[in-house]
Amino acid sequence: MRKGKIHIFLLLPFWVYYILFFFIPLGILLTYSFWLTTARGLVPTFTLENYWAIFSKKLYLIIILRSIRIAFIAAIICVVVSYPVAYSLTFKYKKMQDFVLYLILISLFSSYLVRIYAWKTILGRQGLINQILQYIGLTKEPLSFLLYSPTAVIITLVFIFVPFTILPIFSSLQNVKPELIEAAKDLGANNFEAFYKVTLPLSMSGVVTGFIFSFILSAGDYVTPQLVGGTTGMMIGKIIADQFGMRYNWPFGSALSYFTLFLLALLVYCLIWILKILKLRR
Amino acid sequence: MSYENTLLVIKGASRSFGQVVAVKNFSLQVKDGEFVCLLGPSGCGKTTLLRIIAGFETLDSGDVLMNGESIIDLPPYRRTMNMVFQSYALFPHMSVFENIAFSQFLKKKPKEEVARKVRKMLQLVQLEGFETRGPNQLSGGQCQRVALARALINEPKVLLLDEPLGALDLKIRKQMQIELKNIQEKLRITFIYVTHDQEEALVMSDRIVLMNEGEIMQVGTPKRIYNHPNSKFSAMFVGENNLLKGTVVKVNSDCLVISVDGLELFANRTINVKTGDPVTLAIRPEKLRITGELEGKSFGNQIRGKMVDAVFFGSVVKYYLRISENITMVAEDRITDESNARSIKIGDGVTLAFTRESLNVFPE
Repeated sequence: MRKGKIHIFLLLPFWVYYILFFFIPLGILLTYSFWLTTARGLVPTFTLENYWAIFSKKLYLIIILRSIRIAFIAAIICVVVSYPVAYSLTFKYKKMQDFVLYLILISLFSSYLVRIYAWKTILGRQGLINQILQYIGLTKEPLSFLLYSPTAVIITLVFIFVPFTILPIFSSLQNVKPELIEAAKDLGANNFEAFYKVTLPLSMSGVVTGFIFSFILSAGDYVTPQLVGGTTGMMIGKIIADQFGMRYNWPFGSALSYFTLFLLALLVYCLIWILKILKLRR
Repeated sequence: MSYENTLLVIKGASRSFGQVVAVKNFSLQVKDGEFVCLLGPSGCGKTTLLRIIAGFETLDSGDVLMNGESIIDLPPYRRTMNMVFQSYALFPHMSVFENIAFSQFLKKKPKEEVARKVRKMLQLVQLEGFETRGPNQLSGGQCQRVALARALINEPKVLLLDEPLGALDLKIRKQMQIELKNIQEKLRITFIYVTHDQEEALVMSDRIVLMNEGEIMQVGTPKRIYNHPNSKFSAMFVGENNLLKGTVVKVNSDCLVISVDGLELFANRTINVKTGDPVTLAIRPEKLRITGELEGKSFGNQIRGKMVDAVFFGSVVKYYLRISENITMVAEDRITDESNARSIKIGDGVTLAFTRESLNVFPE
C-alpha cells in the first residue's frame, strides 16, 4: 500500500459508525414506510398507502405545518437573541468570554428533561411567572395560556436550543478581524453601514448554521410539546413517536418521518438558495 | 518651522493605556504634500499616534487640527483621510473591484463613474485585469496594492500608512518603496508613514520623525538625521555608527578635543560642553578611511589600529579594527573594482583617518 493512502483508515470509525447506526436504520425505516400493518402484524410489501394516509386526515398536515411554524419562530428568536450576545462577547466584553461560554456549555450539558420540567414549573398556573404577576397586581387570575400552548413550546425550545445558535455565531464572528471594521469606518462607513456591509456578511455562515441547527432540532422535538404543549401545542415528533409506541403502526410512522424529513430538507435548501441569491445581488 | 502650507497639526498629544504611556506630549506640523515617516522601535507609540490621527484612538490631552480645525471629535468616517493597514484589512467577502469601490458605493456615486475610477486606480497600482479576483487569490504585494488603491480612490487629503510593507519579503519591499514614493510624488497627497525600518524611512520620506517611548527624539530630513544625529538614540537607531565614550579635555573656539581611552580626537564644536564633561562620539563606518600615514594628516583625525577581521558583503567590505585595549571600530570600504580591493591582512597595522565634521558629539 502506498504511504499516502494510509490515512483513509483514520476515517474508518466514522464510516463504521455511520453505516451501522445511521444509514442502515434509515434504510430500514424507508423499507417500513412501504409496508403495511394488518391485524396479523407487519406485512412486507410495496405500497404508497402510508404516504397517501398522511393526506387522508387534515390533522396530520395541520400538525406538520404547525411544527414547522413553531420551529421557524423558535429558530428566528434563537438567532435574534444569540447574535447580540455573541457580538458583544466578541467585540465588547472580551474578558467575560470564557465565563459566559462555560455557562452556555453547562446549560447545554445539563439534562434536557430537567430543563423542560423547569419551564413547566415556571410557566404553570401556580408557577413563578403567574405568582409574580399576581403579586405585583398585574393580573388577578393566573394566566392559563402560559402553559400548554404553542407559546410555552416556543419559549422552552428557545431556551433549550439557544446554545446551538450562540456557539456557531460566536465562532463565525471570530473571523471578523477588528481591523476590517476599522477599515470600513475609515472608508466612510458609519457604525450601521460597517456592520451591515462587513460584520454581518462575514458572520452570515454562523447565522445560517445556527438557524438550521435550532430549526431542525425544534421541528423534530417531541418531549417539549408533550410536556408543555398541551393539545394546541402538539407537534409532529410526538405523533410519529406515538406510531412506534402506542399505535404500533411502524409503516405509517416511517412514512410520516420521511415526509417531514423531505419537507424540512426542502425548506433548508430553499433558505440557503435564497441567501445565495441575496449575496449575489449585493 | 513656518505655518505656511501646514495641513495637519498635532498639538501636545498624550495618550496612556493604564500605566503605559504610549504617546507623550507629541507636537508636529505636517505640510501639504509632504511624505513624513514616523520612525521608531516597536512600542514607541508611532502606531498609536497614527490611530489617533485616523480617529481610532482617543486623546487624553492635546489636539489634532486639519486645515486649522480640530478634528478630534470627528468619527473616522468623517475625516478626510484614509489608512492603509499593516495586515491590508481587505474585505475577504468582496472582489478586488468591490474592495476598491467600497467607499465610492457608500457615497452613492453612479456606477459608471465608480467603474471608471476603479480602473484608473488599478492602473495606478499596476493591477489591471484583477477586478474579479478575491483577496485570497492575491499575493502579499498584490494585496498591498489593492489596499492602497482602496484608500486612494477616496482622494484623501492625508494617507496614513501603518507599516504597509512589513509583511512583504525584501525584494518586493524595496520595489514597493520606490513605487509608493512615485505614487506619492505623482498624486501630491500627504503621506504619514509608520515604520520601524530605518532604511525604509531614509529611502522614502521628505522628513523623518524619530520616536522613542512616545516622545519625539529628532525631526529632520533623512540627510540631516543620517549625518547629524542629535542623540545617542538617533545615532544608534538610524544606520550604523561607531559609538565611543570620551571626556572633553579642551574647548577651543571652533573645536573640541576629546579623550577616548587615551586617544585624542578632534570634533567640531556643535554642542555646549565644558572641560571634563563626559560625552558620546558617533562616527559612521563609511566615514572612516584606511590610509597611509602621510595622506591621513589632512583629515584632522588620525589613529592607529590593528585589523582583527574583514567581512565581505558583496558591494562593501567591513573591516573590524582594534584601536585600543577596549575599543573596536568598524570601517566600511566600497569595492568599485576587484583589482583595487585592499590587500590588508588580518593582524596588519593600519592608519584610520576621518574628518572633524564626521564626528558627532552628544552629551552623555
